[in-house]
Amino acid sequence: MKITKTILLFVIVISLAISMSYAEELTALKIIQNVYSRAEGEDMQAELTMTLMNKRGNKRERKIKQYSKDYDAMEKKVMFFISPSDVRDTSFMNWSYDEEGRYDDQWIYLPALKRIKRISSDSKSDYFMGSDFTYDDLGDRHPYEDTHRLLREEKFDNEDCYVVESIPKEEEYMYSKTATWIIKDKWLGLKKEFYDEDGDLLKVLSVKKYEKIKDYWIITNTEMHNKQKDHMTKMMLADIIIDGGIDDTTFTERIMKRGVQ
Amino acid sequence: MEKIINKLLKLPSLILVIVLITSVGFFKVMKSNSRMETDLDKYMPQNHPAFMYSNQAEEWFSIRDGIIIAIEKSEGIYNPQTIEKVKNLTKSLQKMKEIKKDDVTSLYTADNIIGTEDGMDVKAFFKNAPETDAKLQKLRNNVRSNEMVFGRLVSNDETVTIIIAEIEDDVFSQEFYQRILKLSKQYEGPEKLYVAGRPIVEGTMAYLGPRDMKRMVPIVILVIILVLLIVLRSIKSTFFTLLVVLFSTIWTFGLMAAFGIPIYAVSTMIPVMLIAIGVADGIHLYSHLHLFMIGNPSATKKEAIKDLIHGMGKPVIMTSVTTSVGFISLLTSQVYPIKYFGLFTAFGVMVAMVFSLLLIPAGIMVFGLPGWKTDSKNTARKKVDLAALYTRKIVKHKYLTMMLTIIVIIIALTGIRKVWINSSFLDKFEKDSDIVLTDKFINANFGGTSSLNVILDGKDLNTFKSPAVLEVIDKLQMNVVNNNVMVGNSFSLADYLKRMNKVMHADDEKFNRIPESSDLVAQYLLLYEMSGDPDNLWKVVNYDYKKANLTFQLKSDNSKVLNETIALIEKYRPEFKELGVEINYAGSGYKSLVFTDLILQGQITSVILALLIVVILISFMFKKLIVGLIGAVPIVITTMINFGIMGLLGIPLSTTTALISSIAIGIGIDYAIHFIERYKIYSKDNDKETTCRLTMSHSGRAIIFNAVVVIAGFLVLLFSAFPPNRMLGALVSLNMFTSFLGTVSIMFLLMYMSNVYFKRKKEIK
Repeated sequence: MKITKTILLFVIVISLAISMSYAEELTALKIIQNVYSRAEGEDMQAELTMTLMNKRGNKRERKIKQYSKDYDAMEKKVMFFISPSDVRDTSFMNWSYDEEGRYDDQWIYLPALKRIKRISSDSKSDYFMGSDFTYDDLGDRHPYEDTHRLLREEKFDNEDCYVVESIPKEEEYMYSKTATWIIKDKWLGLKKEFYDEDGDLLKVLSVKKYEKIKDYWIITNTEMHNKQKDHMTKMMLADIIIDGGIDDTTFTERIMKRGVQ
Repeated sequence: MEKIINKLLKLPSLILVIVLITSVGFFKVMKSNSRMETDLDKYMPQNHPAFMYSNQAEEWFSIRDGIIIAIEKSEGIYNPQTIEKVKNLTKSLQKMKEIKKDDVTSLYTADNIIGTEDGMDVKAFFKNAPETDAKLQKLRNNVRSNEMVFGRLVSNDETVTIIIAEIEDDVFSQEFYQRILKLSKQYEGPEKLYVAGRPIVEGTMAYLGPRDMKRMVPIVILVIILVLLIVLRSIKSTFFTLLVVLFSTIWTFGLMAAFGIPIYAVSTMIPVMLIAIGVADGIHLYSHLHLFMIGNPSATKKEAIKDLIHGMGKPVIMTSVTTSVGFISLLTSQVYPIKYFGLFTAFGVMVAMVFSLLLIPAGIMVFGLPGWKTDSKNTARKKVDLAALYTRKIVKHKYLTMMLTIIVIIIALTGIRKVWINSSFLDKFEKDSDIVLTDKFINANFGGTSSLNVILDGKDLNTFKSPAVLEVIDKLQMNVVNNNVMVGNSFSLADYLKRMNKVMHADDEKFNRIPESSDLVAQYLLLYEMSGDPDNLWKVVNYDYKKANLTFQLKSDNSKVLNETIALIEKYRPEFKELGVEINYAGSGYKSLVFTDLILQGQITSVILALLIVVILISFMFKKLIVGLIGAVPIVITTMINFGIMGLLGIPLSTTTALISSIAIGIGIDYAIHFIERYKIYSKDNDKETTCRLTMSHSGRAIIFNAVVVIAGFLVLLFSAFPPNRMLGALVSLNMFTSFLGTVSIMFLLMYMSNVYFKRKKEIK
């Protein structure tokens, strides 16, 4: 009799615990989903200034005119280099797909070679143009790819934030986990920490500035700091036009060759 | 001086107690504060332009030495098991806390950039070991067609592949090495694994030398005790002589520890010097005492000590001061370990002097005169006869002796011209040791385990985007690799650009060349940054394309190979200069080359300086310039024979062998001063023949005893397991022998023939 009681109690406690953690999982997932589905407009054009800084304090700056547009199951993006002058008119096009496991399609146009070449890479962990952002960091990661957990709620930069930990389901993924600080009422990530395969802090992404453009919260100024290499990338967006209407033909090889008007 | 010593000797027990307590104090400081310096960078003068530049360049381009693990499968590496091992071993290495993940390079981590009809593919060579033959064949073809990998990570015959783990200078330890060995053992069979690389060679050398010394020194001391017992024929004398050596060594190392100065590899030479010199003091003192007691059998110990201090105090002080000043001349060296070596050996010699003059008499006061196992009158007479016989013979054959000396000097001179400097670490190991064999194996299959970095410094931004400059780099690489068989391969920004150019032209071999325009170069580099790992790029060029790093892989770290390679590179200096590009060198191999040169230059200056000081000091002490010059002769001859034999036997100069010439000076001074002082004393009341005979049986005797003791001790090192220590033993013994021989033959004859101390007598007569 006593044993049955104990077992029963045990079962109740366990199931309670499971359902509680499940509830927590739900909220964390919900938060991430809200961030993921935050409206950012259909298309965007902007001038991107990317500053790379190594641990010796040397800086390199690139100016890029970029166009991006959301399609049903994909996002198209085209970039034209404005400076430095020796790579001016080099253009780069990237199509990324929502479909899981499908690699991005990428093209590059080198004006000195006068040829467009397809680049295929099997790695999502490639760094974007020598910066500290990987292609994956720049794209939106689908909430279902990770298991999320709400760590705590705290004030960060004078904003009330959720701190959510996300652990990738894919075992061989380049990060072992990430932690994101999300502003409660705006569903906007303010800071993100990336941990490497060994669980050590690898990079910290800080949002320096965000603006309300046409009812959308747009992040315009970010900084990614690789703590292990002490290498830093700043990305600043200027002259932003949201939903300005970008012609579909912009994302073609012809326009890549022609360059920015 | 004599008065002070005599006064102090009124309280002999107190002296013994004070010295003992202080020594215990120094011993404690030494025990708790001493540390070995194993980081070879710390040995080099950090403000020397060559090192400053190299250290900077190492920082700019992350130039570091790598540990190399080779996996050999004689049937070929392209099978699922071997490839899987490459992956697992790579991952295990990446997980070690001493190694950063990105610093491991292998077939598993390498990017394969290949050209296709419509573009470019960036792929890992493999993610999981391919299982099917078709996939393995594809992997093989990918490697074969990638000149950035083939011959670099996979051997040309496809039976060996390597994994390279670059580490920081201060990371290596024996414990870490053992863990790597253990790790590689786990992957052994049927594949064979080899571990090599400069950090291992450097680390093992820094560890093997002292470890071997620790094992050998007790035996050396034991042999010295035995020979001392035979020579001095008294346990008490042997004990106090050793006490002088031991205490002076403890005080010296204690003082070093108190000042926080670490023990460097060259510091192991300090006890060597102190043994040779401390033993000399003891032997001269006891020898004198013995002769005095034979002459005055009824004398009390007080009388004996009074005579001892009176007769020997002056030469002991003179020899010690001169020797110390000689060692202080090493302060002119630019190399700190050598400065410290000179300074502290000088200190040790002075301490040994004080102990000899205080401890030995105090010991006699407290424990009584040594109980010599007295010679029967016959043997004592025999010895005196022997000295007399030798003196007569050498005087008789003086011209023959002179001739022989000159012949020996001429032979030595031909040898000296053949002396070469070698900064190689590998050459210090046994030819059949694991380290040397592994190195040979990897050198046979790959570019080489040693490297030389050529740092190209341009005037303007983007210098290294200019095709003209890149063409010269490419030409230089080809020329050096083709004209020196010891240069395995080379690596530079030009290789990346040639590869990109080829890839962007659908892998057409025709385009395996430098692109024509600087814009195209810039665009390829941008493309590489976008698709490859830009960190690789920063190892060959800097952020603003003003500086570039060109690496040559060499099959030897031998100075000859380095110098020949540098000579080939130097031919391109004018061509680079026209383009506004300066050439500099960097890397650990280059640094040790410069370092060894520095040591040698310093050694030459300080030997010359020491010689001058010795001549001046001896001249002042004996108030005759001619005596100073004669006194320097054995030192000069010993030094010449030392270097001559090194040249003739092909023993290269290195940090330790260069320092051995200091022994020649230290010991040479001792012998010369003792001998001349005796000669001077005896000359007062005797004619020349008697003076010679008496000096020979007094100083000559002590000198030969000293030589025998130290030679016997150091010959033990010939059985050392570490080749440089064997060399040390042989050369120290040789120097002791030539110093002794030079003093009692040629120096004696010069004294005899120059008639010093007898000229006035003749005039008076």
